[in-house]
Amino acid sequence: MTSKQPPSLTTWMLKHFGSGPNNDAVLGDLAEQYVQNGSARWYRRQALKAIWVSLFREIRAHKGSAVVALLTGWVLWTFNVTSIFPLITPYFFNVNPDGPTIGVAILLSDPIGSVLTVLSAPVRLHAALNQPFSFAFAVALPFVAWALIGGLVAIIANLHLEANQTGIPARAKLTIGFHRDRQTAAVFLFAGSTLLLNLFLTGYFVFHLQMLVHGPSQEWSSAFGHLAAYVAASIVGIFLGGTLMGGLLHDKSTVVRN
Amino acid sequence: MRKGEYLGNFDLMLLLALQRLGDDAYGVTIARELEEQTGREVVVASVYATLERLQERGLVVSRLGESTPERGGRAKRYFRITGAGIREVREARRCLMNLWKGLPQLKGEKA
Repeated sequence: MTSKQPPSLTTWMLKHFGSGPNNDAVLGDLAEQYVQNGSARWYRRQALKAIWVSLFREIRAHKGSAVVALLTGWVLWTFNVTSIFPLITPYFFNVNPDGPTIGVAILLSDPIGSVLTVLSAPVRLHAALNQPFSFAFAVALPFVAWALIGGLVAIIANLHLEANQTGIPARAKLTIGFHRDRQTAAVFLFAGSTLLLNLFLTGYFVFHLQMLVHGPSQEWSSAFGHLAAYVAASIVGIFLGGTLMGGLLHDKSTVVRN
Repeated sequence: MRKGEYLGNFDLMLLLALQRLGDDAYGVTIARELEEQTGREVVVASVYATLERLQERGLVVSRLGESTPERGGRAKRYFRITGAGIREVREARRCLMNLWKGLPQLKGEKA
């Protein structure tokens, strides 16, 4: 690359996903170095490491809000698959009204199986019901659900207890303010935990799915394809929801300031 | 500094780089100085993350400087070591010298 403008996509990523009070200074330093050494590869490496370093630092600095945001995300998703998805299942699959109730089993005696069930219920249900795969049920709807939860995680990361001027803890109030750094870190953490759990449980998932499959129509490759589409939808959904919510909160805080 | 909290290797190198650079210590010059002296690539963001931590401990202070077109209009952040920082560096040197004293020659080291 001969242009003296640093790679624009990398710059955009660092600007939006980098966090911490020095993100602007890092962007300036990398741009200045890039003008001198002209190495796009060096610039990309430094920018990606900067995103990672700043997120890690932000999570460590605000462990409490990161953990609360993460737990909120998982509680909401668990509520979604245990309470909302069973209600909409009959609209997508031919379910026998006299048959057993559709639900998600969470068993303390089988924690891995329970996590797997909660995590990937939408993409496994068609196999359990011995029915054709539904893109709308397994990918599109979860995408919307993950996006909503990603947005809520962003809101939770913005909530903080603020003591009033008298300093009396009993009169402390819950306020919402814009903390872009905390919010970016929380959304990344939630998306990262989703991706990691999916990666760890992929083998278990495929094995479990094969146990449920009846007939030769379901191939390993299609099972992987469905899971990949579902995982991609969940990660993109979380980022989209978190980013959109971040933008809304930012706009709101600007209005209040003005 | 909190009791029992030592300066890490990178902390110490950064504080020494700040002393060497004087008033011209900001991200680019600090990273360059460390790379020249250590021969290793330095992640600019790690420099800031560590300096931020040292600032919280009162060992360095920072101020915003000028912005230039080649930086995309973004301001430089200059860092300076404080009196407490200098004391910490001296203390670290004293500890290291004490530990070093009386050690047999390290393998591969010239006499």
